[in-house]
Amino acid sequence: MILEVIGWIGISLLAIGALMDVIAAIGINKFKNFYLRLHAATVGIIGGAFYPLLGLGLLSLSLEQLGVIRFYIAGISFTSAFFVLITAPVGSHILARAAHRVGVMPEPIGVDRLKEDREKGVFK
Amino acid sequence: MTKRIIASIIATTLFLMAIYIVYTGAITPMDILLGLVGSSIIASFTADMLLRNPNKLIDVRRWLYFLAYAFIYLTVIELKAHLQVVKIILHPKTPVNPSIVRIPYEVTSDYAKTTIANSITNTPGTVVVDIDDIRKVFYVHWINAKSIEDREARKHVSSTFEKYAKKIFD
Repeated sequence: MILEVIGWIGISLLAIGALMDVIAAIGINKFKNFYLRLHAATVGIIGGAFYPLLGLGLLSLSLEQLGVIRFYIAGISFTSAFFVLITAPVGSHILARAAHRVGVMPEPIGVDRLKEDREKGVFK
Repeated sequence: MTKRIIASIIATTLFLMAIYIVYTGAITPMDILLGLVGSSIIASFTADMLLRNPNKLIDVRRWLYFLAYAFIYLTVIELKAHLQVVKIILHPKTPVNPSIVRIPYEVTSDYAKTTIANSITNTPGTVVVDIDDIRKVFYVHWINAKSIEDREARKHVSSTFEKYAKKIFD
């Protein structure tokens, strides 16, 4: 009974992940500049990679006919999910920082405090 | 070798060992031996960089706050942020109101800063573009800026993250 519930949670997480990946792909195409596209990419990373990996782990734990292999699959899924969660934002952040430093300005923009502070010389 | 360094090495070894065991998914004597040798070698090089104050690791309250934060963050906060961005993407006109705002922070340890910055970047809709360590601000690109004033923006973006990060790491 409990195994079945875990299995269904895993399947629904995988389904949500597939949906999120499609939406992120649409977003990448619809948004107009680099910084906005990063937000769509984040939907693809967390919704489309982290949660499905958790779901895959739960699903494989629930399949008893796999025997001992299910622990290998679950272990690899959970550790991969953990490392995706802590390393993916580093990539997004570095891309955004590098883009702003070389002068790719977000357009359109309400206010750009970073540009203001750079021009004032408060922050280099 | 002081007591502090030995404690850090043991703690790092245990942490790496846990990752190794979960990753391989097997507990034969061979796995344990290999994991122990590998993680203690790595730990002896890196423990001094990773841990300044190993006493924080045995504080149960910090772990409880960590679990509470992980649960809230991975369910409620992520769900809300995803729905917001998904709504913007699927809207025919993609209504965005982007700004780069200053988000001040008050934590001191590097782990806490990293936690806040990673949490901000991992929620769709906000990306940390740069950090000023001297004036203690993050520069955050916000897809739907509700406020451009520092304090007001912080309330929307990072007040929850900061509350927990302070209790867990500082």
